[in-house]
Amino acid sequence: MGEEKSSRPRINLIKAHIDAIGAALRRMTKPPMTLMFPDYEEAWPEGYRGFILYDYDTCIGCSLCAQICPARAIKMYRVPGDKKMRPGYNVGRCIFCGLCVDICPVDALSYSYVHDEVYSEVKPMNMDPIDWTLWSKRIKEKEKSAKPKLKPVIDEDVGLRYEVVKSVEGEK
Amino acid sequence: MAIKLPGMYGREVGEREGYRIVELFIGPQHPASGHMRMILYLDGDVVVKVDPDIGYVHRTIEKLSETREYVRVISLIERMTIIDACNVTLPYIEAVEKLLDVEPPPRAKYLRTILCEINRIASHLYGLGLGGIFLNHSTMYMWAFGDREVFLHLANMLTGARLTHTYSVFGGVRRDLPQGFKDEFAKAKRYMLKRLKEYDKIFYNNPVIRGRLENVGVLEKEQAISLGATGPNLRASGVYYDARLIGYAAYPDLDFRPVVGKHGDALERIWVRLREIEVSLDLIERALKELPEGPIINERFTKGIPPKVRHWFEKGFIKLPGGYVRLKTRAGEVITRAEMGHGEITYYLVSNGDIKPYRLRVVTPSARNVILFTVLPVGHTLMDFPAIYGSLDYFPPEADR
Repeated sequence: MGEEKSSRPRINLIKAHIDAIGAALRRMTKPPMTLMFPDYEEAWPEGYRGFILYDYDTCIGCSLCAQICPARAIKMYRVPGDKKMRPGYNVGRCIFCGLCVDICPVDALSYSYVHDEVYSEVKPMNMDPIDWTLWSKRIKEKEKSAKPKLKPVIDEDVGLRYEVVKSVEGEK
Repeated sequence: MAIKLPGMYGREVGEREGYRIVELFIGPQHPASGHMRMILYLDGDVVVKVDPDIGYVHRTIEKLSETREYVRVISLIERMTIIDACNVTLPYIEAVEKLLDVEPPPRAKYLRTILCEINRIASHLYGLGLGGIFLNHSTMYMWAFGDREVFLHLANMLTGARLTHTYSVFGGVRRDLPQGFKDEFAKAKRYMLKRLKEYDKIFYNNPVIRGRLENVGVLEKEQAISLGATGPNLRASGVYYDARLIGYAAYPDLDFRPVVGKHGDALERIWVRLREIEVSLDLIERALKELPEGPIINERFTKGIPPKVRHWFEKGFIKLPGGYVRLKTRAGEVITRAEMGHGEITYYLVSNGDIKPYRLRVVTPSARNVILFTVLPVGHTLMDFPAIYGSLDYFPPEADR
C-alpha cells in the first residue's frame, strides 16, 4: 500500500538534517518571548476585559446586567435603605465576557485591567452591591500597583517583544 | 491472565490466526489533547481494531442552550472550542440573524472574517504543536505554542480577550478595529511567513518526522468522502471542499481558494495545515485592505441607545440596547455552516418564536472526524497510532460538546 503512494519528491536526507539543526540553532541566538510573570505583569491593551467594576452612585438599578450575564455571576440584591434593586457580583462565576458593560445604559459598570486575585475562601468571592463598590475601589488601586508592566509588541524577528511601560495607560 | 501496566490495562480478548489479541486502553488521561480514551486491539504490535471511547468532556451544551436567552447562548457555545471561539459561534450568530431578519453591516462582516482567520491560524498552530509533541518533537510544540501567542495578542487587541472573545453578536461585532492593528498585523504576517519556512525545515522536511508520518494513516479520496471526514483532513485527501466556499461573512469578496493536498497521509494533513496558515494570512491582509467604512452593528440595535452613552460608538465600542436580552425571533428553522480550524461546523436552530432556542443541534468537525480513528490506524503498528492521532487534530471538548 505504501509503494504506490510515495509519489512525493524525495528529500536530500543530509541537507534536510542539517537544515533542521540549523533552523534550531539560528533560533537559539534570538531572545526568548517569555514573560517572567510573577516579577513582571503584562500591560493589557486598551479595552481589555478584566474584572467588572461597579459604581453604586451611577447605577439606576435597571437589572439589565443581571439579565444578560451568561454565567449568572451578577444577581440583583435588596439593599437596606435603598428602594432600588442593586446588582451583586460573584467573581468566581464571572467569565469576563463583558456583556454587562456593553448593555449598561448609564456606564455604572466598567472593565478593569486586573483579572487575577487570590481568595482563601469562597464566600468573599460572592459580593453584594456594597461589597462590590468597595472592592471595585480596591481593584482600581491595584491597577496602579508598583509592579513593573511590560507591553507586548509584535517583532518581525522574535515574534513578541515586551517593552517596559511605567503604568497602564488609557483611562476608561 | 491480565497484564498490568501503570496507567494501562491489557487483557486478552481472543485469538486471531493463532496469535493472542490484546486489548489496550489509552487514556482518558494521556499527555496530549483533552480527555478521551482509545481502546486498541493489538495483534503483537499491529493494531487490528480501534474503539474510540468519547464522552469524557460532555457538558450538555445543546440542552443548556435551550434554557438560555439567545444572547446568553453565545458565550456558552464558545466553550466547545475556546481555541477557535469566533469560528465556532459565527454560524450560530448567523442563524439567529436570519430568524431576526437582521443583516450585519459590511464592516462587521469583514471584522468577523479577520477574527475568524486569526482564530484559524491559532487553532492550526495549536494542532501542529500537539502533533509535534505526539511524536516527542518538543521543539515544534514550543515553537507553535509560542507563535500562537502572537495571534492571541492580535485577537486580544481586537476583542479584549485572548481566547473567549464573544466578539460577534447579533447584528454586528462588539469592537471596531483598534489603532495600530494594521501595523501589528503586517509585522505578524512577515514574522509568520519567515517562521513557516523554519517549520518546513524543522518539522515538515525533517527526515525524522518524514519517517514517522509519510505514508502513515492514508485516507483515500473516496473513503474520506464516504466517511464524512471534514476540514484539513478531507482536503489532504484531495477533495476540493471548504465551507468557506459557501460564502458566509466576507469570504465571497475575498477570492478565497482552499488548500488541497493529494496524498492523504499524515504528512499531507500537516502540510495542509501549514499552507492554510499562509492562506489565512493573505485573507486577513486582503480583508484589512478592503475593510469598508461604516457602522459595526446594525442600526436596529443602535436606535434605542441613550445619548449619554453614545460616546462609546465614537471610541469604537458598542452599547447594546436593553431589549437585546429578550430578543424574540420569528418561528422557524435554520441550518448554517462554517469552516472552523478543525473542519466544518453545522448548526440546526429551531425557534418557536420564544426568547430562547427551542432546539439547537450542533454537529462539530471533531465529532465527524472521530470515525477516522476506527479506520486509519488499522494495519499500522502501535508506534504509528500517536502519529495518526496527532495528524488528525482531534479536539475532544468539541466532539463531546
